[in-house]
Amino acid sequence: MTEGRRRPALPGWTWPILLVGILAIAVLVEGAVAPGRLVVANPDTAAADALADAVTELPDGSLVLVGMDPDLGTYPEIRPAVRAALDALRARGAGIAVVSFTTEGRAVAAAEVARLRSLGATDDRLLDLGYVAGAEAGMVLSVTELAPAEGGDVPEPFAAARRGIAAFDMALIVGGVDIGPRTWVEQVGTRLPELPLAAIVPAVRHPEVAPYLRSGQLVALVGTARDGAAYAAAGTHADGLPSATGMLVGLVVALAVMLRAAWARPRHDADGGSPEGDEA
Amino acid sequence: MPATIVVLVGLLLLVNFVVINPLVAGVAREVLRLVVVVAAAAAVAGALALVLRHGSDLWRGRGDRAGSLVLLIGLVAMLAAGFYPGSAGAADPAVRWLVAALLAPIVAALFALLFVFTLVAMQRGMLLRSRQVTVMLAAAAAVVVLLLPLGGPAGAWLATAASWTTAVPIGGVFRGLLIGVAIATAIHAARIVLAVDGADD
Repeated sequence: MTEGRRRPALPGWTWPILLVGILAIAVLVEGAVAPGRLVVANPDTAAADALADAVTELPDGSLVLVGMDPDLGTYPEIRPAVRAALDALRARGAGIAVVSFTTEGRAVAAAEVARLRSLGATDDRLLDLGYVAGAEAGMVLSVTELAPAEGGDVPEPFAAARRGIAAFDMALIVGGVDIGPRTWVEQVGTRLPELPLAAIVPAVRHPEVAPYLRSGQLVALVGTARDGAAYAAAGTHADGLPSATGMLVGLVVALAVMLRAAWARPRHDADGGSPEGDEA
Repeated sequence: MPATIVVLVGLLLLVNFVVINPLVAGVAREVLRLVVVVAAAAAVAGALALVLRHGSDLWRGRGDRAGSLVLLIGLVAMLAAGFYPGSAGAADPAVRWLVAALLAPIVAALFALLFVFTLVAMQRGMLLRSRQVTVMLAAAAAVVVLLLPLGGPAGAWLATAASWTTAVPIGGVFRGLLIGVAIATAIHAARIVLAVDGADD
């Protein structure tokens, strides 16, 4: 093919803008799609059901420790599921204590604690344990001792929490890139094998954590956006779910780019070495 | 000396894990507290080093001055919100606003760019026609198809296939990786504890 017959390529910076535009249109036209044609919630509800069962099976008046360590980059993906789980725990009447072992997790935890308080959670049902420094070392210490963020007295229902993670009936782990279910299984699960561990993680961590579910070291794992949507849709957060049309269009664009890449002719520089970059 | 400290602390924590003894548990707890203090001090030192580095760049007109200025302004804004008299620290509304309105959207947007960058990288990689990139592309395409949010019987079939793929082939690979990492970590730890030559390098 001669140089003169090549189509003029769009500048590289236009492709991301075009993609954002297409995604925005896809989200806007979601209402025009017939109900049931596109569903963001996973039709296989096994993961969502396991988490729901773990909450339902809690004893009356139980204490649940929420290990809130998501990262800011992936938290939007799991936020509906996390909020649905916290609401389910409240509805179950569980005492919720929130602790973080990462600074990013603490930032998210502070926002979620404030949200729960704005929904009416009182001090005898919600305890903010704050940030525990030292990462894994701090987590190991927390197995036998935990103190609230403010220092002072602990409300009576949470008095046992001073004995550490051992005093809780379940731990709900909200994982991110740094600390997540794997660290909990290694540092807490080995010391407290009777403590049920349930987890919500972003899809990027799901393959790494899934073996712990199969081995029984986790009682429940919601680990993809679609599992999270299935869990949230069954609870109180069906409105905060990602757009099914947006997801479909994004995946179709990805497939189109992959197919284009698969059919592209190999290109080499003058030395026959590395290929030239192609912007899109 | 560092190797000796590592060996002693490692053995102490190992004994504490295996043997139930109040004295050993007390000593192990104090050691862990020391580790926590060291980790916290390292975090503070890291923050100070960052400030010094970017402050110095700004002062001497080196590097990306605009980036350094933004970083220092962000740092000061967050510290001011968290430390002003009467502040509730990380739970203070000002800190929560900075996180929710600025930090979280920026970080999430950067993470979302991975979608674009991964596709571009994949396309560039395919120009090499290497077998590894071809396998990666095929696997990625298969996963994308399995994740299509379709309703009806087709969607249910894709969801079942996605669950099987995660649990069996991908799960098998990660299970193997986890076991391999655990064995390698145990061997490395044993080499340190037994003071095998070069293990502390």
